[in-house]
Amino acid sequence: MIKLLDNYVETGAIILFGVGFATMLINSNLIKKIIGMNIMDTAIFLFFIAKGYIPGKEAPLVVGDYKGVEAYINPIPTSLMLTGIVVAVSMTAFLLALTVKINEKYGTIELDEILKGGRDESR
Amino acid sequence: MKVDSFPLLMVLLFYLSAFITILIYKNEIAKKIAMCSSAVGVVLSFFVMMETVRNGSFIYNAGHFEAPWGIELYVGRIEGIISFALMCIYLLISWSSLYIIDAEVDESRVKLYYFLCNILIGSVMGAVFTNDIFNAFVFIEVGTLASCGIIVVKNQKENYLATLKYLILSSLGSGLFLMGASFIYSITGNLNLSYINAELSKVSGDYPTVILIATGLFTVGLGIKSAMFPLHTWLPDGHSSAPTSSSALLSAIVLKAFVLLYIKILYRGIGVDSMEIELVFEILLVLGSAGMIVGSLMAIAQKELKRMIAYSTVAQMGYIFFGIGLGTKSGLAFAIYHIIAHAFAKSILFITAGNMVKKAKSKYIEDLHGIGREMPLTMGVFTVASLSMVGIPILPGFVSKWNLALETIELGRYVLLAVVLVSGLLNALYYFPFVIGGYFRDKKSGELDYSRRLSLKERIPLYIMTAGMVYAGAASNEIIELFKAALG
Repeated sequence: MIKLLDNYVETGAIILFGVGFATMLINSNLIKKIIGMNIMDTAIFLFFIAKGYIPGKEAPLVVGDYKGVEAYINPIPTSLMLTGIVVAVSMTAFLLALTVKINEKYGTIELDEILKGGRDESR
Repeated sequence: MKVDSFPLLMVLLFYLSAFITILIYKNEIAKKIAMCSSAVGVVLSFFVMMETVRNGSFIYNAGHFEAPWGIELYVGRIEGIISFALMCIYLLISWSSLYIIDAEVDESRVKLYYFLCNILIGSVMGAVFTNDIFNAFVFIEVGTLASCGIIVVKNQKENYLATLKYLILSSLGSGLFLMGASFIYSITGNLNLSYINAELSKVSGDYPTVILIATGLFTVGLGIKSAMFPLHTWLPDGHSSAPTSSSALLSAIVLKAFVLLYIKILYRGIGVDSMEIELVFEILLVLGSAGMIVGSLMAIAQKELKRMIAYSTVAQMGYIFFGIGLGTKSGLAFAIYHIIAHAFAKSILFITAGNMVKKAKSKYIEDLHGIGREMPLTMGVFTVASLSMVGIPILPGFVSKWNLALETIELGRYVLLAVVLVSGLLNALYYFPFVIGGYFRDKKSGELDYSRRLSLKERIPLYIMTAGMVYAGAASNEIIELFKAALG
């Protein structure tokens, strides 16, 4: 329990991940599913960035004097997550575009209704 | 010319030609550019393969930054041989797609199709060669988006639904993969597979749970993308509704690249010695066996031809996970050989099936009776490929199944032997009725229509593919020996 409180960033990230995961799987509304996916991705970004954070250290931008390696946080996870964000954005854009098309073709964005309608069509 | 820059050149070649393809005004020129780039890709991968077979593995630092900071491409014998096989299959699939794509995709979208195919194969090659987990993640994502694109390019109602299912499940999978990478990064401080292995061999005793969690996350994440049994639900819809050549590409190439990446992470990254890996292997064995049996049973129940072949993919991926799960070096070598065997056979099956469905204008198996007399040579190619799936000697499907069965006997696990044998019989139960019905049963309605025959130029890529498949079977000993030597 104490460990969970000490690493509160990681704990929060995992809770957020669970929330996003559940939202994505349980909801049948496609927009809510996409929101769930975004929450899940954000949780991963938080978790990853927490790996590079060291309490009491500065951001790795040298303003004025260089204070040595010890004074700065690890910038690699942060920069990796920049790529991760780009990937998540393009994924979201594609999913939203698909949702628009699904709405055009099926007239609804509730997944259970779409599945029902799809079955009726094929009979 | 230095061969060691060729892997990077291959990735760049496909990305560059993709963006040229989409800018070209005429579809015909776009098709030619796509064909030229895949032909160059085959040549490059051939040189890479010969280099690895002669001199063993080599490493290329992208941008000349040394390993822990820069991105490394690791090309061993397995990567070399697999990339050559996949490139040949890609060339032949896109060759035969030239004749069928216009009938399946709107004219305005043909360019888009070749654009997506090139992006897809570029990222697949990147995922095969890369030695960096995060780089692999980016390639996986680009590949996933492109493979969703080549399903949805058909613009039918069911394609949108299939793509949606695929995309939601794969975004879940890539989320889990990234989470696994962050767990590994938190205890090793590295993303490069070789450095991860070196660090884990020092700290594995301190963090057994973290390593187990990370391995589990990688297994589920890549398992979704490569259709491991209970996570395969997106596959039958996607692969059966996609255009013919897209289904062949997805089934033969995309799934295989993700499995290969999983093998690389398991053996070269995490390392089988540094953790209690038996649990993961047991799970893979159970899921692989379940996939082999249930996938075949589901395939028997299908009424649509392409859906049946798609479920057969689930069963065949089961063999690959089964081979990994046996946990021995030779089991792994047979699993990797089955990657090649299945890639050849499944691309032939999907392309011939797509042509038959197009000519007969019906996707249901019962409407396809008598098609073997109308298109005897195409059906003949289909028959050879399905014989390989069932496991008839000389053909590559037999080699991997026979060896997997022998391996289970050597390990003394007779239950698994029974699973291999039963699933082989089940394979026969759904391929043979279709072949027999095609040749010997009467057509449901109307006379036989011999004008349906494919022209010679349409059949040539299929013949070359069949020859390649038979060659892969005949040369199986050498290939498997090379894999075993590369695994050490």
